[in-house]
Amino acid sequence: MLVSRLFLALAVVALAVAPAVAQGPAGDDKPRSGGEMVYVVPSDAPSYDAHREETFGVIHPLAPFYNTLLRTDPSDRTGVKVAPSLAESWTISRDGRTYTLKLRKGVKFHDGSEFTSKDAKASYDKIVFPPPGVASDRKGEYIDIEAIQAPDPYTLVFNLKHPSGSFLNSLASPWNWIYKADILAKDMRWYETHVMGTGPFTFVEHVRGSHFVGKKNPGYWDRGKPYLDGFRAIIMKDSAAQVAAVRSERAFIQFRGFSPAERDTLVQALGKKITVQESAWNCAILVAMNHEKKPLDDRRVRKALTLALDRYEGSKALSRIAIVKDVSGVQVPGTPFATPPAELEKLAGYGRDIEKNRAEARRLLKEAGAENLSLTYKNRGVPMPYEPLAVWLIDNWRKVGVNVRQEVVEAVNIYAVLRGGDFEIASDFQCGYTVDPDLDLYKFQSKELNAANFSRYTDKVLDDLYQKQGQAAGVEERKKLVREFERRLLDEEVHYLYTLQWYRIVPHNARVRGWTITPSHYLNQQLDTVWLAE
Amino acid sequence: MTSFVVKRLLLMIPTLISVAVLVFFLMRIVPGDIVALRFQGESSFASKESLAIERQRLGLDQPIWKQFLVWGGGLLRGDFGTSMWTGAPITEELRLRFALSLQVAVMSTIIAVLIAIPLGVLAALRQDTWVDYAVRIASIAGLATPSFWLGILFILFLLVVFHWLPPMVYTPFWVSPVQNLAQLIWPALAVGYRYSAVATRMTRSAMLEVLREDYIRTARAKGLWQQLILSRHALKNAMLPVLTIIALEFAFLLGGLVVTEQVFNLNGLGQLFVDAVAHRDYTLIQALVMLVAFVFIMVNFFVDLAYALIDPRIRYR
Amino acid sequence: MALDRPLEDVVALADLTPERSVKDGVVDFVRHRPLGAIGAAVVLLNILAGVFAGVLAPYDPVATDYAAMLSRPSLAHWLGTDAFGRDVLSRILYGARTAMLVGFAVALVGATVGAVIGVTSAYFGGRIDLAIQRVMDIFLSFPLIILALAMVSILGTGLVNVIVAIMIPLIPRASLVTRSSALAIREMPYVDAARAAGYRHRRIILRHMLPNVMAPYLIMLTAFLGQAILLEASLSFLGLGVAEPTPAWGLMLRGAAVQFAETAPWMAVFPGLAISLAVFAFNLFGDSLRDALDPRLRTQ
Repeated sequence: MLVSRLFLALAVVALAVAPAVAQGPAGDDKPRSGGEMVYVVPSDAPSYDAHREETFGVIHPLAPFYNTLLRTDPSDRTGVKVAPSLAESWTISRDGRTYTLKLRKGVKFHDGSEFTSKDAKASYDKIVFPPPGVASDRKGEYIDIEAIQAPDPYTLVFNLKHPSGSFLNSLASPWNWIYKADILAKDMRWYETHVMGTGPFTFVEHVRGSHFVGKKNPGYWDRGKPYLDGFRAIIMKDSAAQVAAVRSERAFIQFRGFSPAERDTLVQALGKKITVQESAWNCAILVAMNHEKKPLDDRRVRKALTLALDRYEGSKALSRIAIVKDVSGVQVPGTPFATPPAELEKLAGYGRDIEKNRAEARRLLKEAGAENLSLTYKNRGVPMPYEPLAVWLIDNWRKVGVNVRQEVVEAVNIYAVLRGGDFEIASDFQCGYTVDPDLDLYKFQSKELNAANFSRYTDKVLDDLYQKQGQAAGVEERKKLVREFERRLLDEEVHYLYTLQWYRIVPHNARVRGWTITPSHYLNQQLDTVWLAE
Repeated sequence: MTSFVVKRLLLMIPTLISVAVLVFFLMRIVPGDIVALRFQGESSFASKESLAIERQRLGLDQPIWKQFLVWGGGLLRGDFGTSMWTGAPITEELRLRFALSLQVAVMSTIIAVLIAIPLGVLAALRQDTWVDYAVRIASIAGLATPSFWLGILFILFLLVVFHWLPPMVYTPFWVSPVQNLAQLIWPALAVGYRYSAVATRMTRSAMLEVLREDYIRTARAKGLWQQLILSRHALKNAMLPVLTIIALEFAFLLGGLVVTEQVFNLNGLGQLFVDAVAHRDYTLIQALVMLVAFVFIMVNFFVDLAYALIDPRIRYR
Repeated sequence: MALDRPLEDVVALADLTPERSVKDGVVDFVRHRPLGAIGAAVVLLNILAGVFAGVLAPYDPVATDYAAMLSRPSLAHWLGTDAFGRDVLSRILYGARTAMLVGFAVALVGATVGAVIGVTSAYFGGRIDLAIQRVMDIFLSFPLIILALAMVSILGTGLVNVIVAIMIPLIPRASLVTRSSALAIREMPYVDAARAAGYRHRRIILRHMLPNVMAPYLIMLTAFLGQAILLEASLSFLGLGVAEPTPAWGLMLRGAAVQFAETAPWMAVFPGLAISLAVFAFNLFGDSLRDALDPRLRTQ
């Protein structure tokens, strides 16, 4: 039941997230082989082991060396369509608790050894059931798995504790690279400093802080691929330097994305030599309001803070200068569980009449005895888009008489601040590799249930709604429950503020073909389908 | 002389030890947690348990004094350990970056000296004339221009006018001198110009001082030709303080070009330092600070040595 | 550095302690040091801009106007507007307030604390001097910007914290300079006399030695002013200085200013000029002050 629901959802997504883009990738002509693809990565990889890292800085330069069991379809703009990879097919039992994967035969690691279910099992064991002394960051994501079995060399079976609508998608997680069992058996940490995969490219070198080089894997199992002879990933932290690299055509692309101004500069300078791909980005900046600090324990004050925001004007203005665009509720616009615009406008702070909203905000503040309120907004020390957004927020709040001071907190400190509750209001975010209510709403459960509830509230009604939507009988039923959840979260109780949805803009050299933008910068980085036009 | 050298060398030890103690404990006062940063990133599911495992692995669960002893012991054996962030040996992290930073520092110094000494001498010889004013304005302008600003202008100029960008990746000089210089000449020019401003001013005032001494004052009355000849003697005497300032600045260039490296996308020690601080990568920060402090102290030592060789009185102070 | 200057120098320096009226001094300075006078005038202008920003600025520096985003210089906005439609001129004027506040706070406190340490160290000499100088050496062996970075990490961002973060690395530099001047003064007969007369150390240091290092102190002060403004701009550029929406020059050069460098250059050009001009003026003034007070002073 749940599974069919998910598939239906995927189908809807595929239909819903249509154009909305200036120019699509020009990928109709026949792929051409050859050439080295040079691209820019805005940060260096902390270690090489994606199982334990959380930054795209690992995915972008290293994903081409590996495969996952399943993947998202490289030509799918929604990033939720699951496609085979090392597993060529899968079946799901009737009760939705057993997933049986048929693995591909004849796949070889770069050292020539044969890939079997032993390797797949060892890799997933490392993530789901790490031995003592090995930290696995993503254990929590796979809490539903009861056992992993490899009955024969080309079959892998996952037994779940209970059916899960998002499990298939998690098997396509871009983080779950398949490693070699023999190596893991000897040293669980080997992959932090070495590379050995089955992917379309083989590792050549990594100069720390400088670049990665990969070359074509001639024995790649997917015959005819990859098209490229190799790639070179240049690490470049400064965004102006990244733009300069693409502009001078020394590099072809930077996959994470540029700001609107940077896009315009490139288009202006290079004209037809630049292709622009854009997409809603599965990331949203939230404002956590600490319920343990007065007067934020008062629902009226929190409501005033959301009513003060002119989201539509913000969307129009900020989309010219920052990587944000859509006004959205708790789901990425255009996805199956997203709020229809008409319904969105009914939520506090989403109404079109801003004067009315702000008058109401002032009234609420007065009623709560919180006129001339002064607050400190602790902001994550990441310039784009946190900085412009903070300027916008503070200005909006000022218009209802709330005086907010920004304090920038280094990224390395922000979690201590958020978890310790040492703030009044603070920036927070919701970001993931796939759009799914289970994943996206998880953090809004009561503080007793999850440590990422930085607004620090207890709301049993919300917890209940979360459970119910996860077990809903059908899409329509689930939609209703998600709406109810959203209304309670953002309108009635105003536990959190959603600001604007991120917007991903990737202007790249027109020679780059066969790469499709998705709502997540973690997806679609294997480069097996990418080729360079003349 | 030998006893002077030995004494100065011995004096370095307590300084280096103090630097080690200071940086070690200072970094542990700074709030922030490398483990939390790594495991609570963009899709946070990390459990307290995995955080604890990771802390234990990095030895961060040990008492601070014990951590210090482990690190200090390693230092004594010449072992910097591994980076907490990347897991790679510190020496591997430092090698190429040190080469790049050293080269930029050397090139900037050469450029600075080539600009500063002739201009400084000229300004002093022509004190309070338009030449002096022009030199001073140019050098003060150098001091007043933020280096990141100059860097951005450089890059933009190359891009817009020549549609050209310096190579993006560092190639050691011995591999390809052309590639190497094509990348590093620009930051060296931007830094060298700024750095020459300090040295020009120093040269000018040192020259002025020497020129005021009696024998030169007499000579100056005799005309330009003699002046030039004498200025050579004057220059020699004026060089000590200029050398000092150049030497000290050199040590700062090695690790302090944070913003310039960012703008020119150089993979050097300054950027590494900023990243290490941003990640709270204790082992790497400690190694970097020790390295830069060591270079600074050595440079200082050689400057003192130069003084002592030239002016024997200093030795006995 | 050149630590031991011959006694005559110091006598000359002591001679400089003005008995003349301030007015004569100023007139003299303007006549003989035209560059310094220009510098002083610009400095004054900056201070006035900072103090009277509230009166001079045509707009509220934090008021956004999305209808006027990124508009080029015009009659309504003489220096154009930024990415939020805020008036660039108003933000520069208010930015002068931030810059002067940071500059003067850092320079005055930093130079004074440094001078006291330097003079104390020189006065006592021997082990105390050695100990203090070694501590200063330790601080000196860190590049300035890196020490400032570390301080910001410890203290957090914000105006007061930035002031402290910039000030601390400057203290050892100030102490080095004043110590070398004070070393010579310590040997002066009147200091000996004071000591022989049994005056307390504190009195001798405050009454006899400090006034005599006034010249290097003043020169250092002006140098620090410029340096502090530049450092603040660099920290802000790196995102570690004061936070938006506070108007500050370094902040104005960051983010959107770089991204729109070609399409809206006024966003970056004018605050960049403001920084350069202010630092330039402080240095010009300081340089001439050095020439005027002590032509032989070697240390920076």
